[in-house]
Amino acid sequence: MFSTSSQRKFWTFSDESELASQREKHNLEFISRHGQHLDEHQRYNYFLSPEEERQLLKQYELHLKEFCKRFQPPMPKGVIGTAFHYFKRFYLYNSSMDYHPKEILATCVYLACKVEEFNVSIGQFVANIKGDREKATDIILNNELLLMQQLNYYLTIHNPFRPVEGFLIDIKTRCTLSNPERLRSGIDEFLEKVFLTDACLLYAPSQIALAAVLHAASKEQENLDSYVTDMLFRDAGPDKLAILIEAVRKIRSMVKMVESPARERVRVVEKKLDRCRNQENNPDSEIYKRRMREALDEDDVQYTGTSRMSLDTSGVTQVLSPSAS
Amino acid sequence: MDDQACPRCKTTKYRNPSLKLMVNVCGHALCESCVDLLFLKGSGSCPECNVPLRRSNFRVQLFEDSMVEKEIDIRKRILKDFNKKEEDFTTLREYNDYLEDIESIIYNLVNNIDIINTNKRIDQYKKDNKELILKNKAKIGREELELEEILEIEKQMEDIRRAEVLRVEQETKKQKIREKEALIDELMFAEGDAKEILNTFSQNLASRQEEIVPILPKVTQFSSGVKFSRGSGQQGLPIIEEGPLYKYEPLAIPDRCGPDPPSLQDIVNNGYLKHVRAETETEKTGGYSSTLPCLRALQDALTGLYHSS
Repeated sequence: MFSTSSQRKFWTFSDESELASQREKHNLEFISRHGQHLDEHQRYNYFLSPEEERQLLKQYELHLKEFCKRFQPPMPKGVIGTAFHYFKRFYLYNSSMDYHPKEILATCVYLACKVEEFNVSIGQFVANIKGDREKATDIILNNELLLMQQLNYYLTIHNPFRPVEGFLIDIKTRCTLSNPERLRSGIDEFLEKVFLTDACLLYAPSQIALAAVLHAASKEQENLDSYVTDMLFRDAGPDKLAILIEAVRKIRSMVKMVESPARERVRVVEKKLDRCRNQENNPDSEIYKRRMREALDEDDVQYTGTSRMSLDTSGVTQVLSPSAS
Repeated sequence: MDDQACPRCKTTKYRNPSLKLMVNVCGHALCESCVDLLFLKGSGSCPECNVPLRRSNFRVQLFEDSMVEKEIDIRKRILKDFNKKEEDFTTLREYNDYLEDIESIIYNLVNNIDIINTNKRIDQYKKDNKELILKNKAKIGREELELEEILEIEKQMEDIRRAEVLRVEQETKKQKIREKEALIDELMFAEGDAKEILNTFSQNLASRQEEIVPILPKVTQFSSGVKFSRGSGQQGLPIIEEGPLYKYEPLAIPDRCGPDPPSLQDIVNNGYLKHVRAETETEKTGGYSSTLPCLRALQDALTGLYHSS
């Protein structure tokens, strides 16, 4: 149940400014760690600004959506929702300069498949990826443990899909609305867009689901307000109703604001990223390869004893990519 | 044992693990297959000493030394006739001499010493003691008969005991039926309170049960005189100390942070099930019902609606 979940306790935040400050913090941390030799002015010429990081991640969220849509065998909606959650959670506490979103994206989807019991082998999985599949396999498996650690092992995700079904059952049973099934296309469209916003880090899945249902109803020129006020919130106080109305309004406006980032800008940002990214986590870099060799040569026991085991989410600064072992 | 070998076909125990050596009165061994081969007609002669033998007298060799087997055969034959008892002699000395005579005769026969004379001695003895031999034979027969008689008596006793137990059992059964009938009669026709009648009857029953203590003759001896008894291992089971019984308490429902979902009863009664996929026959067999998933969807929809950051 969402009300007692770790999702509510640790991964639902109060407002957008909290999310923004969290992201900014990790951007600054990365820059101060890697850019000490540069003065204030040069820094943002070389590194990504928080704004640029946002643009980049939004672009990659679109990639994530496309990747999941094209995935063979077709995956259930729950996997997509869970993958989005993982992706957003990961970059709340990490900078995209530290870990390239391209790599984390695939790892998120792979882990989501496992958690949502959508059974695909790694071989089947990388068949959906263009390019060097062996390399992709290595990257995904190497990053899987890192991702789980960064999620603090809170892997259960409450998606809005089941609440939507619940509302539809309830509306069919208790409302006079004719043919509620016609709301479905509107709901699906809405939920697809919701995952491009930060709504799932701010609101309960049932609130998002209700926003989707209400949005779809208004698109069909139906009004479900009486269902909400007279049925759902009949026994609740007006203060609670006010909270819900505000939440629904906010979610809908967030969805309305969704726009894909400008292609040209993102391309520039990506070029910049290739230069400034943390080479220790770049599988193509010399430093990464050398490290992997060292890790393989090193005694296993000694290796697992390093900082990798620390569980501090906010303060993990130097995290090695888990070895290929 | 490993170097056992048939003297005729030279098969050894090593080569044929199922090798069985047989002996006859002459004491020379032969393996089973050689016996089958040579005594096809039922009789023939020993391939070693040419003594005429009958097939039916072949038996499995028990002792490794075939001389022992031969001696056993001879001793059996001799003792059939030399069957005098100690009582037949006036002094112990004479009896001992007689026993020694038997031993020397057997020894001679086994080792083929002076066979003709020994045989003559046997014949002589048979002629001299014809009557006594017959008498003693009859006596041995009588002794055996007596033993059989004892066994017979024991068996009869056992039968009587069993019949007695059966009779007592039937008696008590009949008694019970009679009591029941009496009780019903009493209840039907008596004026008094039914409860009282029941009470007095159960009291009567209890007192009578105490009286009946079956007295059964117990056999504690076998006919051989060996006493038998049940094993004494009749110790009670160890008593396990148990704590207070577990008491079920329903789980506390956590704060739903939203409106209460309908109960399972409501879902069935209020028509929610019309809008969910009904379970198939196969699923029903497996224990699946669509009520719980329906409840879960509703619960997920309602929980967290009051959530505020």
